[in-house]
Amino acid sequence: MPRKTFKLLCAALAFCDGSALAADIAVTVLDRDGLPVPDVAVYVERDEPHAAAPDGRRAVMDQVNTRFVPHLLVVQKGTYVEFPNSDTIAHHVYSFSDPNGFLLPLYKGDAHPPVLLGHPGVVTLGCNIHDGMLAYILVVDGPEFGKTDAAGRLTLATDGDAGQRVTIWSPRIRPRGETLTQEIGSGELTFRLRGALRPAHDAESGGVEWSDY
Amino acid sequence: MVRLLSTVWSIALTASPDVLAANDSLARTHFVTGIDLSYVNASGLSSWTEGSVGKLRYDDSSDGLVISRAFLDAGARLTDTLDLNATLQFCDDDLGAALDFTEAYAEWRPVPRSANRYRVKVGAFYPVISMENTGPGWSSPYTISSSTINTWIAEEVRTVGAELSWSRRPQALGGAHRFAVQAAVFGVNDPSGSLLAWKGWSADDRQSRFGDALPLPPLPQIQPGMMFEDQDPYVVPFREVDGRVGYYLNGEWRMGNRFTLSAMTYNNRADPEAIEDGQYAWYTEFNHLGGSLSLPGGIGVISQWLRGSTVMGRVMNGAHVVDAGFDSKYLLLTKTLDSHRFSVRYDNFEVTENDDTSEDSNDERGLAWTLAYRYSHSDTVLFAAEWLSIKTHHDGWVYYAIEPTATEQRLQLSIMLRFAR
Repeated sequence: MPRKTFKLLCAALAFCDGSALAADIAVTVLDRDGLPVPDVAVYVERDEPHAAAPDGRRAVMDQVNTRFVPHLLVVQKGTYVEFPNSDTIAHHVYSFSDPNGFLLPLYKGDAHPPVLLGHPGVVTLGCNIHDGMLAYILVVDGPEFGKTDAAGRLTLATDGDAGQRVTIWSPRIRPRGETLTQEIGSGELTFRLRGALRPAHDAESGGVEWSDY
Repeated sequence: MVRLLSTVWSIALTASPDVLAANDSLARTHFVTGIDLSYVNASGLSSWTEGSVGKLRYDDSSDGLVISRAFLDAGARLTDTLDLNATLQFCDDDLGAALDFTEAYAEWRPVPRSANRYRVKVGAFYPVISMENTGPGWSSPYTISSSTINTWIAEEVRTVGAELSWSRRPQALGGAHRFAVQAAVFGVNDPSGSLLAWKGWSADDRQSRFGDALPLPPLPQIQPGMMFEDQDPYVVPFREVDGRVGYYLNGEWRMGNRFTLSAMTYNNRADPEAIEDGQYAWYTEFNHLGGSLSLPGGIGVISQWLRGSTVMGRVMNGAHVVDAGFDSKYLLLTKTLDSHRFSVRYDNFEVTENDDTSEDSNDERGLAWTLAYRYSHSDTVLFAAEWLSIKTHHDGWVYYAIEPTATEQRLQLSIMLRFAR
């Protein structure tokens, strides 16, 4: 559908239900074999930076069985992220990702206050006790974001303004040669990856008992 | 030095709960302790632990109930990045004190400022060789006994010194791949190699503690009036003899919880002519290659290969008077089904005589099969059963009027209790 027609349609819909100008974008991420890729971050970018998340917005990165849960968390800049430790052993969580670096010295439970992530970018998390623990927080500029489901799909609601793009990110996607950003042209966007995915970090292990290393 | 470290650790561990109790949510101390009660039924030769040549820790004189393992693995965090760790092991035999330390070390883990991580360990600890002994107290989650390779590591090898570890996850490869290098310098392990040359390989779960003295077979050449009469009839594996420093360098590639490949070169650089207080220094060097793989369906594969040599004494006719090559490899397959684990291991080992010294034959070759079952009833209670058969040909056994070829077998049923905090 031509963009103009789409915008007109959006305007018409907005007019009909009396709400702000809005549109749903259905995003699908497929690998090079056409199979769905779950747990891919999807977010809307704009030409102009968005205001930060409203004060007090919270998100949670848990620690369960010596793993971060979830492996990838997406938040808007200005979000306070809690890092509860649900294990019986202590963790020592850190990020060296500038400018979202921080350190939560040895703790159990919710000993530390939430961390304000104020800058867009990828935050790589580790535990200084358990080197195998790894997770990512993707801090995005605007309020429209999410992760693909098991079918590789996510539907985002946008305000339908011009100059908006949809971008995807996952630690498993090799960026070289891929199209990771698309203009919003219709209600459907499909990202078809060309390269092979990197191996998942923490896939279910088989019979070997691994040390925490 | 080891004793001193142990003492320092003991004092620190005792003091730390009081000092740090004010902030227990930070978990400054932690421990795992366990005890294994076992029924043992063994057949074959008298055990090497009794001063004979049998490959197993237990022989038919031990048949019945034994406490096969008791340990305390404890740690205290002095600061956010500095840990003290130690492992105390119980042994119900005459080779040392009932309780003594197998490891005691400090570890500094600075918080990474980039994708590079550094670790420094100082003290006495196992080098990064075993791929089986990943459990608390250096136990194996697969079998009761260790492979011949790791039984020898437990008997005679410990890093008493410092190890620097560097690791990195290249972002270009995603988070799954991790590369690591460990480099260490060590001393206080000069007699290491004595048992391998003079006794040969073993297969059991006994770990030498710092104060242990391990019996040698009644070798003709260590008797009065013979070439090595200054050698005590036992080996003290952890002592300094020559004042020289050894090293090892290890490289590792790991992919998440699915795949590991590691390679090490090790050299204790001991002076083979040095002797002190009845203990020779043995120049022991080896290379190690190990790999493990997790397959879908709860199947695991682990394999290690260790090959090297140990020499001792002056040079005669172009070779040291004791010069033995050693080689061992094993393949372990394991499969989990809910709380049940089934494992099978095949070991193949040999020692090769490279010297001309008479009445000191080191030649040995053999193989072992191990079948093991383990059931985790809970985190606290586990059951294990293991059957092990080891067949050896060792020329030197004729000195003791023992047939040079023997098959030894051992059945062990264990109840294992574990507590952690």
